[in-house]
Amino acid sequence: MATSEPTATEAVQHTVGREVIVEVKALQKYFGRNHVLKGVDLQVRKGEVIVLIGPSGSGKSTFLRCLNFLEDPTTGEIEIGGVHVVCGSHGGTFKKDVHQIRMKCGMVFQEFNLFPHKDATENVTEGPILVKGEKKDEAIEKAHALLTKVGLADRMDFFPSQLSGGQKQRVAIARAMAMDPVLMLFDEPTSALDPELIGEVLKVMKDLAAQGMTMIVVSHEMGFSRDVADRVVYMDDGYFVEEGPPSEVFYHPKDDRTRRFLRHILPEKEPEHAKELGITEVDQELPSPDDAPAQGSVGAAFSEDNLADTAIPEIPLSDGAAGFTPMPPGDENL
Amino acid sequence: MKRRAWVANLALFAAVLAVLVTALTPVALAAGTTSPSPSSAAAATVPKGTPIVVGVVPDPQNSGQAWTGDRVSVNLVSNGASTGPNGQILNNAGLDLAKCKVFINGREQALSSPPSTIALAPASPTLQFLLAKTYPNGSYDFRVTIVTTRGKTVEHSWKFTSKGAASGGSLINIAVMKQWFWYIAGGAIITVELTIVSIILASIFALFGALGRLSKKMTFRQAWDRYGSREYMFRMVLGRIPYWLATFYTSLFRGTPLLLQIYVIYYGAPEVVRAIGLGGAHPPAFMQQYLGYADNWNPPPFVAGVAALSLNYGAYLTEVFRAGIQAVPKGQNEAAWAIGLSGWQTQRRVVLPQAFKIVIPAIGNDFIALIKDTSLVSVITVEELLQRSQLAGAASMNFFSTLLVAAAFYWALTIFFSFWQAKLENRMARDKARERERR
Repeated sequence: MATSEPTATEAVQHTVGREVIVEVKALQKYFGRNHVLKGVDLQVRKGEVIVLIGPSGSGKSTFLRCLNFLEDPTTGEIEIGGVHVVCGSHGGTFKKDVHQIRMKCGMVFQEFNLFPHKDATENVTEGPILVKGEKKDEAIEKAHALLTKVGLADRMDFFPSQLSGGQKQRVAIARAMAMDPVLMLFDEPTSALDPELIGEVLKVMKDLAAQGMTMIVVSHEMGFSRDVADRVVYMDDGYFVEEGPPSEVFYHPKDDRTRRFLRHILPEKEPEHAKELGITEVDQELPSPDDAPAQGSVGAAFSEDNLADTAIPEIPLSDGAAGFTPMPPGDENL
Repeated sequence: MKRRAWVANLALFAAVLAVLVTALTPVALAAGTTSPSPSSAAAATVPKGTPIVVGVVPDPQNSGQAWTGDRVSVNLVSNGASTGPNGQILNNAGLDLAKCKVFINGREQALSSPPSTIALAPASPTLQFLLAKTYPNGSYDFRVTIVTTRGKTVEHSWKFTSKGAASGGSLINIAVMKQWFWYIAGGAIITVELTIVSIILASIFALFGALGRLSKKMTFRQAWDRYGSREYMFRMVLGRIPYWLATFYTSLFRGTPLLLQIYVIYYGAPEVVRAIGLGGAHPPAFMQQYLGYADNWNPPPFVAGVAALSLNYGAYLTEVFRAGIQAVPKGQNEAAWAIGLSGWQTQRRVVLPQAFKIVIPAIGNDFIALIKDTSLVSVITVEELLQRSQLAGAASMNFFSTLLVAAAFYWALTIFFSFWQAKLENRMARDKARERERR
């Protein structure tokens, strides 16, 4: 693993020079008098995977939800996939732009939010049919392809109540992908899952990243971040405190707050030893990176060879250890 | 399993009905010539515009307890065609008055003035003979011959002892119950019709009421702080109108008595139309064709009754629907928005189907309550269960028996529908439990 893993600089390097898909400038958000986002800037290039970490209430989720206007940002500018919106305005143009941005963003929620009265296929086809006006047969065909990709070929006509948490979340990912988004937003996608189900969802996300999907992920899955993220952003009190390649931010944090926070997340050792610890643990638990195709090779992740891996429960998730992340109890809400 | 439950439920209802029917069906109908009874058979075959004789008393003013001796009155139940929308009698209730006769002890009686029709109660005209002479207290045999303008003749005879009851006598009079059973059963059908039509309309009112009530997103203060734009505020005022309308609607209809609403709609509607001057002198053709309007703006009693009941229950259901919509997790909205659905698409495809499932038990509850509240529209002459049992009581002079029949019908209906409501709730509770289990 150590040899095939791109170094920190490589991880950032491989997207340098690509077009900028997301441009956020001076984003601020108030909830009443509560100042949640205090001026946040972010630039994401095509194919980049950004992982947001930070303590509870630091504004990670709010930031993510502001990107597709589930929360209306107070001021700032957001440009996604060429659609530029000045926040805090209103009116017809604003609404139209927000709609455009929502169509370009796929979002995956912590609580899945599948439509309980529709089966897996209908959940996926809802957007394409209603919003994009796709023909029903075509939409269903596409939905079946997507559900097969996320390893749910045998669950297509199941209702959400008949699916496990991990399966629900994979349907949710397929639902978001059905809109052909340029950017995927993941809001703590694995926090509501039982430990043994986390792996199957992370696997799908990894495949997506490998396929070249641009992603912004709020997550404390350290293994995932270390393997997939191009940049990790530490957020605290409404600011981006520190950002950089995962190896930098996790194991050589510059800011005191980052260090304090990581002490909670990483095993209770000195930060100097954390790297060593983290890697040995993750090595046991993650599927070997050799299984995953090289980053950026679009479609390879979902090629025939990899389907067997995606089908649950064949994935070699772990040796029985509880999940990927050495997260201490009590920090689930981070 | 499910199938067997179905069968069991239907069997229960059938049993209840069978008991009622066998207990009260007039066996006398086949044999009976003893009293020419206005049975269902008569009601069904009488041509439109012909009144049905439903009962006779020598003197309705004295309730049969004593006879003034100078008049004989015959209570009729019109089939509606011969009474006006306000209950006044039209065309002499369809009677050929000159040919109507009264006999006492077999002898035709001379009259001080020609027979006439008077209205003691709406839709229940009374044929009155004023006798030339005054009879003392005593025991008499009465017979009347009633001829309609269409040439149909109805005879009715009875015995009467002055200072005694006109007929029957026992408190619970099985004969009277049998005699009036099918007539009252017809009222039960009207009651069910009223209930079903009203609950459907009420649900529609409630849906829009709830959407209106929930259309308020933020206060004016918040909007001003946020955008500080006059143009935005102006549009916000327009956008607030559904909320105000819905609030006004629920407040008004929950804040006034249903009985008053029924009166206002029945008697007030034509005045409102006149006062506003909208709609012209005649109601549009479709209202005459489908809603049973005459060539004026007086609403038919059934229409007015449905309007009042559905508006009133719609107001209550609005709050139920509002709670149901709010009970759908917010994440459902967000998920729908996130894949680009518009506000209305989100409501229609995602929120409302789930909210509806939540409010079904509450609708069932109101349905049961509504069955009984339909009795209030008897005050505007809708011939539903209560009205018919009252008419039957007035005609047979045995209110206790006929009202008891009505009570049995109400009770049977509520038991029947409560049963299904409980089934429905159980099923939904099971679904929910299963969902939890799977999660």
